[in-house]
Amino acid sequence: MADVTESKITDEHRAMIGQKSDPIEVVPRTPDAQRMRDLLDDSDPRWADGTGIAPPYILAMMEPRLPAELSPQVLSSGILTQTEWKFSQPIKLEEPLQAVTQLIDVRDRLGGRYGYSVLVMFQTAYLNSDGEEAAASLRTITQFDRPE
Amino acid sequence: MSRYFEDIATDDELEPLERLPTEDKAVEFFGRDNPTNPAFGDAEAGRRMGFGGALVPGLLKLSWITNYVGAWAGPEANLRSVRVAFRRPDIAGKPLTLAGRVVDKRQEDGANIVELEVVTLADDQPTVRGNVQVEIPSRP
Repeated sequence: MADVTESKITDEHRAMIGQKSDPIEVVPRTPDAQRMRDLLDDSDPRWADGTGIAPPYILAMMEPRLPAELSPQVLSSGILTQTEWKFSQPIKLEEPLQAVTQLIDVRDRLGGRYGYSVLVMFQTAYLNSDGEEAAASLRTITQFDRPE
Repeated sequence: MSRYFEDIATDDELEPLERLPTEDKAVEFFGRDNPTNPAFGDAEAGRRMGFGGALVPGLLKLSWITNYVGAWAGPEANLRSVRVAFRRPDIAGKPLTLAGRVVDKRQEDGANIVELEVVTLADDQPTVRGNVQVEIPSRP
């Protein structure tokens, strides 16, 4: 793998930081919650049948695709390397949420298993009908060039 | 069973839990009618991508960690955040062990906060490392 001594992140890439997607409606669905609870053997009474509350991992079903217009393509390949979920309120089943994704950072990373790579970080806020944040997710994609 | 802040100490360890990821569970996790990465449900597709078989979805591992800590903390606790780093791919059919320990407990703005480090291990090697923050009630 060739040594990279200069950043491949351009001003054009940096200019994308802070940009937000249009809101996308996502709905935590009851069948998804039931299926995931069963698969995980989760018997927590807080999100049992009839409570109307989704288990926190329902976010796995709700995360919107990363919008291409917010995704700087610095290197040819990418892989999800970090995820963070934050919870501010219980997530209610069948209550639509507005998901807004923002590019929050693009930075170089030297060394590691990918050699020179680029970390691209996105945050998605899930807003309820009052505009309050119910949950958020932070995703880090590590971009790298596949060795030939 | 509820767990209370006063009963928790730094360095407390969670009882390890074994999970067996399979191709079937990966597909079922996202729902059979929903599109997912073909490498989650097809060992051959995983091998074509350079892995040793079908990949275990990161979001399934994250959900296992979320559930693991939630079960430990009990139904009166509130999960605040879960942050994970995917260190290496897991291959379906290989058992995963979840393990965790308390690394900090403190009071913050009137809330009892407990921080945990959690890991998934395959062949005793960490594949996911996580940090979880939970709000735990005081003993009544």
